[in-house]
Amino acid sequence: MRIACPFCGERENGEFTYLGDAAPKRPNFVVDGGESPERIEDAFYDYVYLRDNLAGVMREYWYHGGGCRSWLVAERNTVTHEFIAVTAAPGAGAASAMRAGE
Amino acid sequence: MSGYSQSEPLARTAPIEANVRKGAKPASQSHRLPGDGIIDRRSPLQFSFDGKTMTGFAGDTLASALVANGVKLVGRSFKYHRPRGIVTAGSEEPSALVEMRTGARREPNTRATTQELYDGLIANSQNRWPSLRRDLMSINQLFAPIFVAGFYYKTFMWPARFWEAIYEPMIRRAAGLGKSAELPDPDHYDKAWAHCDVLVVGAGPAGLSAALAAGRAGSRVILVEEDSLIGGRLLSDGGEIDGLDAREWLRRATRELVSLPNVRIMTRTALFGVYDGGTYAALERVSDNVAMPDRHQVRQRIWRIVARRSVVTAGAIERPIVFSGNDRPGVMMASAVRTYVNRFAALPGKRVALFTNNDDGWRTVETIERAGAHVVAVIDPRHEVPVQYQRLVDTYDLRVLAGVVSDVKGGVDGVRSIVVTNGKNGLTQRIDTDCLAVSGGWNPNVGLSCFHRGKPIWREDIAAFVPGNAPKGMATAGAANGELSLGACLRDGHSAGARAAAECGAVGKPGEASKADDEAYSITPLWHVKGKGKAFVDFQHDVTASDVTLAQREGFESVEHLKRYTTLGMATDQGKTSNINGLAIMAEASGRTIPETGTTIYRPPYAPVAIGAFAGHHRDENFHATRLTPSHHWAARHGAVFVDTGLWKRAQWYPRAGEKDWLESVTREVLAVRNGVGFCDVSTLGKVDVRGADAGAFLDRVYINAFSSLAVGKARYGLMLREDGIVMDDGTTSRLAEDHYFLTTTTAKAGPVMQHLEFCRQVLFPELDVQLTSATDQWAQLSIAGPNARKLLQALVDPSEDLTNEGFPFMGVREVQLRGGVTARLFRISFSGEMAFEISVPARYGAAMAENLMIAGKPYGVTPYGTEALGVMRIEKGHVAGPELNGTTTADDLGLGKMMSKKKDFIGRVMAGREALTAPNRQVVVGIKPVDRARRLRSGAHVIPKGAIPGPQTDQGYVTSVCFSPMLDQWIGLGLVERGRERTGEIVGIHDPLRTEDYEAEICSPVFYDPEGVRQRG
Amino acid sequence: MADFSWNTQSPLERALVPGHHGVTGTQVGVMLEEVRDINLVQVMARRGKVVETVKAAKKVFGVEPPSTPGTAAGRHATLIWSGPDQFIAFSARSERDHFSKLSDAFAGVASLSDQSDGRCLIRIGGPRARQALSKFCSLDLDDRAFPPGAAATTSIDHTATNIWRGADSSDGHAVFHILVFTSFADSLWHTIQDAALEYGVQASLAHTA
Repeated sequence: MRIACPFCGERENGEFTYLGDAAPKRPNFVVDGGESPERIEDAFYDYVYLRDNLAGVMREYWYHGGGCRSWLVAERNTVTHEFIAVTAAPGAGAASAMRAGE
Repeated sequence: MSGYSQSEPLARTAPIEANVRKGAKPASQSHRLPGDGIIDRRSPLQFSFDGKTMTGFAGDTLASALVANGVKLVGRSFKYHRPRGIVTAGSEEPSALVEMRTGARREPNTRATTQELYDGLIANSQNRWPSLRRDLMSINQLFAPIFVAGFYYKTFMWPARFWEAIYEPMIRRAAGLGKSAELPDPDHYDKAWAHCDVLVVGAGPAGLSAALAAGRAGSRVILVEEDSLIGGRLLSDGGEIDGLDAREWLRRATRELVSLPNVRIMTRTALFGVYDGGTYAALERVSDNVAMPDRHQVRQRIWRIVARRSVVTAGAIERPIVFSGNDRPGVMMASAVRTYVNRFAALPGKRVALFTNNDDGWRTVETIERAGAHVVAVIDPRHEVPVQYQRLVDTYDLRVLAGVVSDVKGGVDGVRSIVVTNGKNGLTQRIDTDCLAVSGGWNPNVGLSCFHRGKPIWREDIAAFVPGNAPKGMATAGAANGELSLGACLRDGHSAGARAAAECGAVGKPGEASKADDEAYSITPLWHVKGKGKAFVDFQHDVTASDVTLAQREGFESVEHLKRYTTLGMATDQGKTSNINGLAIMAEASGRTIPETGTTIYRPPYAPVAIGAFAGHHRDENFHATRLTPSHHWAARHGAVFVDTGLWKRAQWYPRAGEKDWLESVTREVLAVRNGVGFCDVSTLGKVDVRGADAGAFLDRVYINAFSSLAVGKARYGLMLREDGIVMDDGTTSRLAEDHYFLTTTTAKAGPVMQHLEFCRQVLFPELDVQLTSATDQWAQLSIAGPNARKLLQALVDPSEDLTNEGFPFMGVREVQLRGGVTARLFRISFSGEMAFEISVPARYGAAMAENLMIAGKPYGVTPYGTEALGVMRIEKGHVAGPELNGTTTADDLGLGKMMSKKKDFIGRVMAGREALTAPNRQVVVGIKPVDRARRLRSGAHVIPKGAIPGPQTDQGYVTSVCFSPMLDQWIGLGLVERGRERTGEIVGIHDPLRTEDYEAEICSPVFYDPEGVRQRG
Repeated sequence: MADFSWNTQSPLERALVPGHHGVTGTQVGVMLEEVRDINLVQVMARRGKVVETVKAAKKVFGVEPPSTPGTAAGRHATLIWSGPDQFIAFSARSERDHFSKLSDAFAGVASLSDQSDGRCLIRIGGPRARQALSKFCSLDLDDRAFPPGAAATTSIDHTATNIWRGADSSDGHAVFHILVFTSFADSLWHTIQDAALEYGVQASLAHTA
């Protein structure tokens, strides 16, 4: 399997580590922010545990730890293993990005 | 990058192995032809088969040399121990499997048809006892009825105890194929990468055409060929290309390819796997053609080839016809007969009969007759001589019989006669022959194109499967694509090669395709001639036609069931000659068409690959990469015993003369630290430079406790959770500047923590200005511990440095100048519970630091200590480590719950509050002391209530870490015990089923030594 | 008390045995060298400060750092791409306060980390260097894919390394540089040397000028 790192180019998959579904966003949690603890716990429960088991194209986190140490978001077809697109995580390198929680 | 292969084996000459009995008169090559095969008659080679010395020539395979010596019987079959001979001349060989070499290099199941002959080669037949000609196990043939399909399932079902005691040993003795060496493999293997635009698989006419087209166009081409020579069927069947004799054309094509710097030809290299994204695997048999690899040379090498496009021109495999006695030595594929005669000048028989259902088989007539042998009959069930071969009938006065071969008679020496049944009237006649050439048609080699679950497509006109949806980037051409004429192979290969090159952006001209005739090819399928005797489908696994029909009758109609029930196609040849026949017979038996019946799934490897080749360089001391600490060589000089900690080698203890065991050494080291001073290399801890304006805020989110509030020049113990609330790692992190923290991790988790921190930085909190760099290898870090630690350091640092409690308080951090002009970082932190410092210098000074600590500490009896003493002291102090940070424990389980900040969000905060993670009956860290002070505590032992019967219902936890505590003079331990903190002083039962020990122990505080922490504050 | 002596030790103290190894012949296939006395400073742009970092680098080194995998030869240093918005400044070991001077030059715009002891530099050249490299490096090092000046971060034996191609040697052979974590250097050296034995390998020690 070959993965095209947006920074390094195409590399063999041994340089990468798979994390999983890139869809869930870490919930924003503000201490004493007035949200009910149950809702926050439910939101984190979803974030940590609930995953769709997609047969088809999904967005996944991959880490180029054997290369430039960038976190990547890959669109991959879980049926054919084909990578459709690989992009950098919002905060890779020195890019300025806003936190994208929910 | 051109040339034949990485190691240029063509340039090497074969060394002579002395083992062959020289002097013994070798058998004459009774079946060697005077003709002009591609062998080097000036290079005679001596070899031995079953102890008999024979000769062959350079360019021979073992099989061709055996044919030349008139040897027909080469082995006994797997189940029935039937005599077997050579069936093919290629890597599809299901029958001529021999044991190669001797001693540590002995290798079973080697195909004689692909084994190149070398001087001194030693081969033995296998699966026979005591000798090939007189095999006592052939009595199995008399028990044949029990060896039918599924016999394992049916026969060895009960009683269960019989399995281990009787059936299995019996089956293993009787049914195994060859025996592998029992000594470590003395040879080396390696793996390598190769890259190209266009990978061409197979160097027959189509492959050469493809490589020429892509190469001329300017693509980077790799052409792999499993044979030692390129040419494929051109080497055996010849023909005329571009008006030239095929061999002359081949010479010119080779010359042109070699002249192209962008083309690399790799011979003796068999492609065996097709993987995602254009990655292919091939096995190069670098030294299999010599007795012993040259010094510094490998035996075999696995290539991982990355190609943007591939053209599979892997040819086709001639398929047998299934009839009674079709496994007798001397029954051979027609194409193999031609190969032995034309390529190797070796004659498989002097009176050859030909049984073919297709035009191609007829080529054999001319080959045999021109070799001076005689075709005694051509048996073709089609009732008509192909137009293009009618002239042969007159020229050679051929006896052509419209019918089928229904039986083969003979002995261990092979075929003596065949029985031919007339196709119209069913009358039989017997024909004397010493070799039966068989052609059932050609199966395109679809395997590689189907490795990604592609389904091959049935083509009625050639009665064979052709590639269906090939993997992305792969094209098939030539015979592998169902193009069975030479002209079509050349055209198809050329256009596939040119197309692949263009798709890779090549702009050069691919030139014209070479031209050759398109011989007519027609076939009338014939799979199985029904008869009384055993008719073999799978020669290697001894699966017969009746096994297939029996499987059908018993309901195993799916090809996948058929395969597993009968083991059809499951031998090392993977059914290359048998699968299609098997499923055709199944189709007939079940009343379906062949495409309806379908094929089994094709999977790599295409051909067997030795485990040693997969391991490559990674064996013994090179099994994995190792990491050495900066003081490693110093420690080795001081006699350290090393332990593998992940990839690291760490000093475990430093034995001294006269010490009787590790415990004595470790105890001495602990006492030396607790009573004086010692030092230990702790460079293996993960170290991360955390910099940036938001470094503090970042650490606040990854640690449960606060770091933005940490003063510059101070260190703090930190604990990280996973997002699910479980502890991930711990370590001390210091603030070196406003925007610079120095974070440490445990040795084991350095990599995963770095990955996690980068995830936090790049994905979760991209708004924070923070940069991370691993600094693990930059620093030699040594821990100096013991009541005399400060005195030792004072001798080492510049006199102006104040190391008193006032000048350098507990948890202080700062740069210090050392005598002699080196700057170090000094941390006043303690893992041992003693007054302790950790000192960091650039790694190049690590060894000097160890040496200087010895000098500076000499007046105080300074003692280097290893990881064992370190472990003892941390257990005495109740510090948690790997066995407690085990992926199931929470901060509170470890007694660190109070560290969790309530004022901020941090990774794991919300999930750590879940009911199950805060339940009052959780197992928490406690100290454990056996009641009997002489009793040795063992980790892994279970904790149960005193007097309870051990079992899942009474289990309350287990002992995680143990040591012999020199300070308490007894074995102590840490454990995870239900409600442990409420049970201090309780006597519990310790149950150790592994060592069958039961005893009592007391639950106590995990801090066994200096609970007030007076010593470390010094 | 007398001062202490601070002898330095290379991670290849044991592994590097100068001289010829492996197949003997008329030609040495692979030249293998450890390059000692190096300065390595990791420079990572701070959030949103890429432009400022490039400017500061230009001022210090006279060249812009490479923005894609590659190297840039600057004043007294080669700048090697090591990831997005970061590079390694590689130079001969010079004055003691090299790192703090650089830190001052990049203050507020980039984070610097001294890696002079964190990596070991190995140089591989000779007519068979590529063949030896192909046994442990998965990159395509062909002229077309990896010309002089090319750089990459890649893993070798499961550890991250930086590899770049310098100027060809006087006899026209490609020369590759590999930066490996110090603790792995001993192990990797053996792997490289083993890979090169069949071509004949000359091991030696080099110092930066």
